[in-house]
Amino acid sequence: PADVRDAAQARVRSAPAPVTDVARLCVCDLLVAQCDVNCCCDPDCSAEDFSLFTTCSVPVVRGDSQLCSQKAAVYSLDVEANPPERIFKLIDQVNPSIFCIHATNYKQALYLKSPEIPTPENFDQLLDKFGGATFSAEPDSWNLDTDAQNPPDANETSRYEYGVPVQTEDAFLRLPSPVVSSWCSDANPAGFLVNQATKCIRSVSVEKCDSIQALSMLFYINSSILAVPKSSQMVNITVQSVVVQSLNGMRTLLSSSDVLRLPMVLDELCINAVLGVNYHITHTDTGEIIEAAAAFVLGAISKEALSIEQSFEISFTQENTQPVPLSGNPGYVVGLPVRAGFQPPGYPFPAAFLNKHSQLTILHSTSTQDCLAAQGARAPVLFGYNMISGCKLRITAAMKCQPLAQTLLDVLKGQSFPEYVASFGNSQAQDVLDWVPITQLHISEQMISHTLQSSCQIPVSLGIEVKWTKYGSLVNPQARIVNVTATITTTTLKQLPSGRERIIPITSSVVFTDISSPAEPSYKAWPTIDIKLPFDFFYPFV
Amino acid sequence: LSSLPLQILLYANGIYYIFYFLATLAMIIYKSQVFSYPDDLLAPDLAVLFLMAILEVPRLYLGFKGNLTEAEAPLGLSLGLTVGSVVLSVYLLLWQTYVLWADVLLNALLLSAYGLESGLKVTAIAAFVS
Repeated sequence: PADVRDAAQARVRSAPAPVTDVARLCVCDLLVAQCDVNCCCDPDCSAEDFSLFTTCSVPVVRGDSQLCSQKAAVYSLDVEANPPERIFKLIDQVNPSIFCIHATNYKQALYLKSPEIPTPENFDQLLDKFGGATFSAEPDSWNLDTDAQNPPDANETSRYEYGVPVQTEDAFLRLPSPVVSSWCSDANPAGFLVNQATKCIRSVSVEKCDSIQALSMLFYINSSILAVPKSSQMVNITVQSVVVQSLNGMRTLLSSSDVLRLPMVLDELCINAVLGVNYHITHTDTGEIIEAAAAFVLGAISKEALSIEQSFEISFTQENTQPVPLSGNPGYVVGLPVRAGFQPPGYPFPAAFLNKHSQLTILHSTSTQDCLAAQGARAPVLFGYNMISGCKLRITAAMKCQPLAQTLLDVLKGQSFPEYVASFGNSQAQDVLDWVPITQLHISEQMISHTLQSSCQIPVSLGIEVKWTKYGSLVNPQARIVNVTATITTTTLKQLPSGRERIIPITSSVVFTDISSPAEPSYKAWPTIDIKLPFDFFYPFV
Repeated sequence: LSSLPLQILLYANGIYYIFYFLATLAMIIYKSQVFSYPDDLLAPDLAVLFLMAILEVPRLYLGFKGNLTEAEAPLGLSLGLTVGSVVLSVYLLLWQTYVLWADVLLNALLLSAYGLESGLKVTAIAAFVS
């Protein structure tokens, strides 16, 4: 009925007036129409309830205690009387401080502000002010449109910077990746210079496979990339190569990669479905993209499959350079391989270090544990990871010492044991001083006096000790390799009586030792004022 | 003949006023930190206090000069300025945003000094005119 609606509207328009009478205020009265335990100010409690209380949880109800004189309601329990009864007193509480508030002409000072009740008239203004994720004092500065990229200085971003999403004509270059669960989300933008590799699962059905966009090659190459953000220069994504994977996993590289293969249903299989995309973006050193290529892996989906795993990768290369994987920038990062190389002959100073085919490697233990059988299994030396590996050598009487020693040296050191190790993770080949030579030591296990010079020594262990130090600032120390020592321990091969054989353990180990000296914090020098008067300053007088 | 009580009172008023000004300013600063004191209420209170300080200097100077030279014109002018100071003091006593008990004491003392001064000035003017 209309009068009820009017009354409700009248109620809604203004909040109920705050209660300020201390005699009627009760903070512990939480239950409606029921007596709260130990709440002496509760009007729902009767005298019998009061007699059961032990203490008053709210002894005093008063306003702001900084007022000079105010009314206070004091509740207490008289436990002497039988039965215990509640005492209610209304007293004038006086604040003796000289800085008590005698009067105030600002009504809102002592009371909480009543919130504005939303009405149809002020709703929009209230929504602007309080409707965002954070409250804004100026509602005009909130812009609620979905344009996520809104840089404040549009003139400045005329090139890509690290991490900025790579823009295409309609949105961003998408790299589908698992977001919360393993399911593919197509809204993940690829960041410039951020090399990523992701794998995610997409739900498919063979009947609808030609209508699922994410399974077709076109979805990944149809929008062209903007060369610089917010420009009209486009770079088309070319198809670099297409690899077709059969149902049993065998991959074949197709010779012609310019034909676009779209998914279609054939004999209860969905063929030409995209299983993997590998983007290669070439950029200039000023942050402009000049080339983009995509390599596809297409496969077939069988009828029973409800989901497939797609893998995506993107890598950025600067034009006219060969990408060299760095092991840290500048200090070594724990877990990345130690970079090593050779010094090509040159006089007086070598030109550069070749580190293409030489890496510091260590023998990799195999399941057979036979040194002579599994030659060639090596593991890279990763910075910071101490490793030990080994194998067992079976010596028979028929073995000759000298070739055995050479074989063991190959087993321990590998085919091309490097001569130099990079001091920093990003040492360039042309900076000669950034490379540390590997010191090679030979230790003979038995004392020289007990062995004849002519008897043969075979190496039994290789120990690589890498000494590194913390370099740079105290808050962000970088790891720097200072010294590398490769120690070969040899032992004498004793002649065995024929028919007998011996098993010797061969070990190789890498140890990383931190030899950094304790850090000394230093402080910036006080700036000095260097003033020099020009020589003709006192012109007329000099 | 110059009024000696008026002279003593003017001198004491000068010293008391310096203390009053510093104390009131300190209390306004204290109130702005401890209580909620919006800027549009803080500005008038500070303006009144500084205006009163600006008025006090010529008021006391004219009072001294008038009393010592036994001239009634400066004394009359000083009386006029006293009226202005009384109004401002009443504002600080009654209509300030927060009136603390210390405010009440300081202003009451200042008002009683003004009242006494005004009475003495009137008698001095009457004495000089005649």
